[in-house]
Amino acid sequence: MSDWIAIGALGIVAVGIPVAMMAISALLRPSVPERHKRATYESGEVPTGGTEIRFNIQYYMVALLFLVFDVETVFILPWLAVYREAIGEVGLARALFPMLAFLSILVMGLVWAWRNGAVEWIRSSRATVRARREDQL
Amino acid sequence: MSAGFGPLLAAVTLLQSNGATMLPEWLADVLRLDGLGVAGTAIAALIGAFVIANVLLINAALAGPWAKRKIAAAFWGKLGPNRMGPGGTLIIVADALRMLSKELIVPEGADRPAWDIAPIIVAGSAMLGFAVIPFGKIGGVQVQLADPEIGLVLVFAIASVTSVGLVMGGYASKNKYSMLGSLRAVAQNIAYEIPLIVSAGSVVIFAGTLQLSGIVDAQTETLVSVGGFGIPAWYAFVNPFAFILFLTANLAEVGRNPFDIPEAPTEIVAGYQTEYSSVYFVLIYLGEFLHIFLGGALAAVVFLGGGAGPVLPGPVWLIVKMWAFFLFTQWARQTFPRVRIDQLIEIGWKGLLVLAFANLILTAVLVGFLEGDVEFAFASLQVITA
Repeated sequence: MSDWIAIGALGIVAVGIPVAMMAISALLRPSVPERHKRATYESGEVPTGGTEIRFNIQYYMVALLFLVFDVETVFILPWLAVYREAIGEVGLARALFPMLAFLSILVMGLVWAWRNGAVEWIRSSRATVRARREDQL
Repeated sequence: MSAGFGPLLAAVTLLQSNGATMLPEWLADVLRLDGLGVAGTAIAALIGAFVIANVLLINAALAGPWAKRKIAAAFWGKLGPNRMGPGGTLIIVADALRMLSKELIVPEGADRPAWDIAPIIVAGSAMLGFAVIPFGKIGGVQVQLADPEIGLVLVFAIASVTSVGLVMGGYASKNKYSMLGSLRAVAQNIAYEIPLIVSAGSVVIFAGTLQLSGIVDAQTETLVSVGGFGIPAWYAFVNPFAFILFLTANLAEVGRNPFDIPEAPTEIVAGYQTEYSSVYFVLIYLGEFLHIFLGGALAAVVFLGGGAGPVLPGPVWLIVKMWAFFLFTQWARQTFPRVRIDQLIEIGWKGLLVLAFANLILTAVLVGFLEGDVEFAFASLQVITA
């Protein structure tokens, strides 16, 4: 209980310090907004478009893969914590093999994802053409 | 909650940390806040949190404007800051004032509340991670704010909240390079988080607990004695392979070369921080340095015996180890070329992840050899390798 009070206290401080810095800065700094100054930075060119861009589908694929593995670590960590005790209590077979079975299912999943190109970076058709041309040269 | 509960809670926490008083309890004791019950606990915790946060700010202030430049200059054969104060150290004050008094340029079409909250999340989450880091003992006081049983999981969970801040900032900036940078940052963080957790997890097998003080205590034994000089059972020595994996994944997690593609200046300006100026930039920069120190503290706690070391008190040693990791990140930054995004994904998912799981399974089987039935372990190893 007092552990969580202490964590909450650092949470308050960790938000409080940035907010305090922002407040001090707001008192010190000038504010002269101007249209061209406020334009987003694209190396000095006139900016074209905002954040609504087409981006690689790969970001979505690895995020999906991550979800699987992240949930899986939640199952692995408690097992790690009790593993040595469990060997003494129920023997190595019952302590180790269920987890190995679980991990092998996951590894099979990773192999499947790997073979289906989920962890392979997808190039756009234009980039592929360019890469081929570079290979020929 | 009744006022009588406070001492009981304090007693429970005392038992948890093996006799040494935790920092908030010690503060409550010294400042005579015991009579106030839960309010007293909360006030002591706030004071303790403020102290820890300021130690971190001092470290980040030393590292960011001064040490980083000095180290980089040493690598490039230059002088670095040397005009302001002894060794150029007063550049810290000058830079702080300069950055705080700069105009805040809000990009056109920025998604306002999100754009403002992102720097707070980035800086705050890195700082909050230190809530459970055991800084070691000094005069019978355990310098640690909280020591929950799930410490290791909690610190990983808090550290990864940073990704949310990066995406928020990148998207809300209304700049396509910011957006690309934040997407890269997330792809990188999630690709290297699993190897990070799994390689740290292989150490949990030895310690048998997720509590960070417990992991530190488990490393106090002597591994081998060489000529009367005992080498401690730090997990970096017990399982060096896991340590190397952890350091590599950690380097990616804090976004330093060779894994600095989220802010690759030659490709996407400065990534998610492109549109941030003034104090907002300071906060993101601060968050990055705190994140490096958090990574270093975690490496120290899990693999390098926490605050263990001769002569000097625990907190000093932990900070020395944090700085050693910081130096390592700067060294890597000056030495390794940046990987491409496709290489990054490949190294993460095909290399480190597979190696981390191999390490985990091998460690589990080897511990099985040592702990359990040896003949049976041989048989099971044959089954696995077959």
